[in-house]
Amino acid sequence: MKPQSEQREAPSIEKPHGIPDGWEPNILAFACHYCAFAAADLAGVMRLSYPASVKVLRLPCTGKLDYIHILHAFERGADGVFVAG
Amino acid sequence: MNKVPSKKKGSVLVVGGGIGGMQAALDLADSGFRVHMVQRDPSIGGTMVMLDKTFPTGDCSMCMISPKMVEVGRHLNIDIHSPAEVVSVEGGPGDFSVRVRVAPRYVDPDKCTGCGDCEAKCPKKVSSEFEQGLGVRKAIYSLFPQAVPNTRAIDRKNCLYFMKGRCRICEKTCKAGAINFQDEGKELELNVGAIILCPGLDRYDARARGEFGLGRWKNVVTSVQFERILSASGPYKGEVKRPSDGKHPKKVAWIQCVGSRDPHNANPWCSSVCCMYATKQAIIAREHDSEIEQTIFYMEMRAFGKDFDKYVERAKNDYGVRYQRAMISVIREDPATGDLLLRYAAEDGKLVDETFGMVVLSVGLEPHRDAVEFAGTFGIETNSYRFAKTSSIEPVRTTRDGIFVTGTYQGPKDIPETVMQGSAVAGEVMALLGEARGTETITKEFPPERDLTGEEPRTGVFVCHCGINIASTVQVEKVVEAVKDLPGVVYATDTLYACSQDSQEMLKKIVREKNLNRVVVASCTPRTHELLFQETIRDAGMNKYLFDLADIREQCSWCHMGQKEAATKKAIRIVGMAIAKANLLEPLKSDAVGVTPVALVVGGGVAGMTAALSLADQGFRVSLVEKEKELGGLLRNLRHTLEGDDVREFLKGKIDEVRAHERIKVYNDAEVAKTGGFVGNFETTLTTGDVIKHGAVILATGGMEYQPDEYLYNDSDRVITQRELEGRIASGKSPGTGECYVMIQCVGSREEPNQYCSRICCQDAIKNAIALKERNPDAQVLILYRDIRTYGLREDYYRRARDLGVLFVRYEIDNKPLVESLDNRLRIRTWDYMLNRELTMDADWLVLSTGLRPHPTTGKTGEMFKAARNPDGYFLEAHVKLRPVDFPGEGIFVAGLAHAPKNLDETISQALAAAGRAGTVLSRKSLTVSGIVAKHNRDLCMSCLSCVRVCPFDSPYIDEEGRVAHNEIKCHGCGICAGICPAKAFQVNSFRDDQILAMIDAAMAEGKK
Repeated sequence: MKPQSEQREAPSIEKPHGIPDGWEPNILAFACHYCAFAAADLAGVMRLSYPASVKVLRLPCTGKLDYIHILHAFERGADGVFVAG
Repeated sequence: MNKVPSKKKGSVLVVGGGIGGMQAALDLADSGFRVHMVQRDPSIGGTMVMLDKTFPTGDCSMCMISPKMVEVGRHLNIDIHSPAEVVSVEGGPGDFSVRVRVAPRYVDPDKCTGCGDCEAKCPKKVSSEFEQGLGVRKAIYSLFPQAVPNTRAIDRKNCLYFMKGRCRICEKTCKAGAINFQDEGKELELNVGAIILCPGLDRYDARARGEFGLGRWKNVVTSVQFERILSASGPYKGEVKRPSDGKHPKKVAWIQCVGSRDPHNANPWCSSVCCMYATKQAIIAREHDSEIEQTIFYMEMRAFGKDFDKYVERAKNDYGVRYQRAMISVIREDPATGDLLLRYAAEDGKLVDETFGMVVLSVGLEPHRDAVEFAGTFGIETNSYRFAKTSSIEPVRTTRDGIFVTGTYQGPKDIPETVMQGSAVAGEVMALLGEARGTETITKEFPPERDLTGEEPRTGVFVCHCGINIASTVQVEKVVEAVKDLPGVVYATDTLYACSQDSQEMLKKIVREKNLNRVVVASCTPRTHELLFQETIRDAGMNKYLFDLADIREQCSWCHMGQKEAATKKAIRIVGMAIAKANLLEPLKSDAVGVTPVALVVGGGVAGMTAALSLADQGFRVSLVEKEKELGGLLRNLRHTLEGDDVREFLKGKIDEVRAHERIKVYNDAEVAKTGGFVGNFETTLTTGDVIKHGAVILATGGMEYQPDEYLYNDSDRVITQRELEGRIASGKSPGTGECYVMIQCVGSREEPNQYCSRICCQDAIKNAIALKERNPDAQVLILYRDIRTYGLREDYYRRARDLGVLFVRYEIDNKPLVESLDNRLRIRTWDYMLNRELTMDADWLVLSTGLRPHPTTGKTGEMFKAARNPDGYFLEAHVKLRPVDFPGEGIFVAGLAHAPKNLDETISQALAAAGRAGTVLSRKSLTVSGIVAKHNRDLCMSCLSCVRVCPFDSPYIDEEGRVAHNEIKCHGCGICAGICPAKAFQVNSFRDDQILAMIDAAMAEGKK
């Protein structure tokens, strides 16, 4: 829950656009080979479901991640970038 | 008995595939021995795979053990025989012949790809052993999803075909034709040089304690069941729920010592691990459900290991765990709610009734039910509790030469000690069979690599159906169609099982026919299958790095079932990403560096000497550096172990052996002055001026006894330490007639600034107390303690001390005993929590149980070898569970008190383990470095040192010119340097920025608006 004061200030900020029906965010995940990528594998083994619009890019370590990778993803149309490691 | 022939065998039998056996197998196979692993279950992993997380770091258990299992499963020189048991053993050290009975699996491992289609279709559900009865499996099954080998097995007792003669659905489902109902198993005859026993443990069957209601009250579960409940991959997906109604229990109780420390009804020993696993479970339960109130009912909190006390403090202060000192005698259920009623005596003696939503029984460890029969097969002796018989000075040797033991079959213990013993037996075997190294190992020969210089990418794509695992969700043909015209692709096809033997042959054939120079396989995870395909293309004359694996099973078809279109679209993207990367891949060379087969051991105490002797027996030259004039270290002050071994004689024998060994050179009065280099190639200068070139180093700088200033130690001659008392007893001065001895535990331990348990003092006090009582039963001995931590089989001595009339009185840290001097005696006052009143004792002697400290040289030595230390000053190992003797920097190992306080047998185990680990380095002619390393471009580099600061492996360094250079031998290819470098002077092979950007482009190809 947002605190009341924040809610009152809200009108001065531009309202976010509504989300069209059936829209799915296009998300790119950068995952560390040793943990998050392994976790994504386990999600599959356990048949856990998540939106198919999420794609995983494997890195040797999330320490390898560079600003340009994230910016490049947004530039190319990603709606969200998820970094896990 | 057969005569022992002169020629030793270069192979080893490992019986048991738990974490201890796996460690031994890997160490041996990595250093020139062939390993046969016999495992009773259909797959390896043992007990650790069932655990959710591990204490005290909270690491995910499966995440740690799974890569090890994969490594064991794929190792060229480890053969797993499962499900199998040893039938008979003949011969002696160096040459045993062993008969092994492999039980029928009814699935052909050569044909089975592990896809699991059969399991999905099998109609027969069976209660799952792995999920401890909280979940179900099928009659054709693998023990758990990550099982190695992942060949399914048919459980004959539950299979409909075997029971009723009809079904065979698995046979019809299996597209690989791997099901074989006629399987009769087989018998193997193995010839090995040594045998390692690591059959693991059973857990106490708490149903025998009817008063706890296990099996009757649904919300009473065992601790292993609770591990499964906590596990995110377990039956409740990590939600803390009650088995009876699926509700979240608000209050959860743990009952300690179920089946342990109970000589009348159950096992007399302490199981060593339950205090800590209950603490861990209570912490994780709160992490999963912030509403939970956790109570642990215990007798004594045995947090004796490294950083365990801090963990318990955290549980109390940060996670609200309540520790209630009480024994629970009965649990009653409220049939209406399923709640459980516990009655206990509170500290003030009053009886309290408290209701809990769920109760966890902390069940103890015990040897396998058939442990005696097992011992008979191998011709070894067991102790009276059915554990393998060993001694504190030879902790991993059984009573039969050439047969070694590791893990819980030697005594209850936790994971790091099991791993340590795994490496220790490996060290022992290397010393026994050193000369036979490399005589039976297999190496794979590959054709020469084709030169690709100047060629445009010619990429081949193979999309796998994985039976129906991928194909039932992803439309494989559509994927092939969509990617076949992508840039670089010259060939694309689908395949039923990309990993099967015939597909591999086909892949090789197509590589040659189509003249491919890049290969993409779209199937399962690279974590398990990348190496397999890399080897295949290498076999076809390609550089193995010209390969990429697109994971469209775990990360696509399995997650998006029932969404054919979306999954197919995603699969096309994933394969497209892999192709984009593949087109930019370049052949990489795996560099190799030579190894100096010499070890440096720093510290000449028992740890250093044991390690030195083991390495020298393995055939390596050893330089042993000791700061003092004499060898022996702290052990010189000790006379006997708790178990009664003569330490002086043992130590003298060791020193003589070291002095006499032709391959050991001892440097006395010497310390390390400076060192440099890297694994395989260190150069160290001593304070004596000697320069030693060595391939590995073991840091065994030892510890010190704490010198107390508490309790009038400096004011009265009647206040002495346990060590001084031991001397008095040995010289016959103690006990005098009618003397009264009061001992105070935890002097200088378990309180700030030394908030850790010194591990040895409880036993030390009990050893001396028993000696006093045995010499003169009239002597009075009183031990003031906080928790008596006689873990494992040492519990026997605690009981013996009580039987002899030694009195134990507990004190608390905020109410310590008070001591005053009265002429020739001492008056000690303490609060007795049992009687709830103050006690006053007049004693002839006050004996302080002083703790241990790291040796003052530890810090300096650590800095030179870049070995980190924990806040208490002890060396910090690479990983507290699975790499207990390694440092993050390769080729550097730790043993003994420098690592943490420990007993003599544990020190010896760890020293042997360090020697075993060092043996895996020194036994190689050269060390191959992975091609996936960071490449440093000096022309771009501004030597800002960002990389030098962040690299966890110290591979970037400042060279003679004062500029940054990069040592690729030390590099692990993590790319943290590349991430931080402002000039982009670092690029990681196979993860270069251009490759990653191309993958992003491919991933987003349709996302652009």
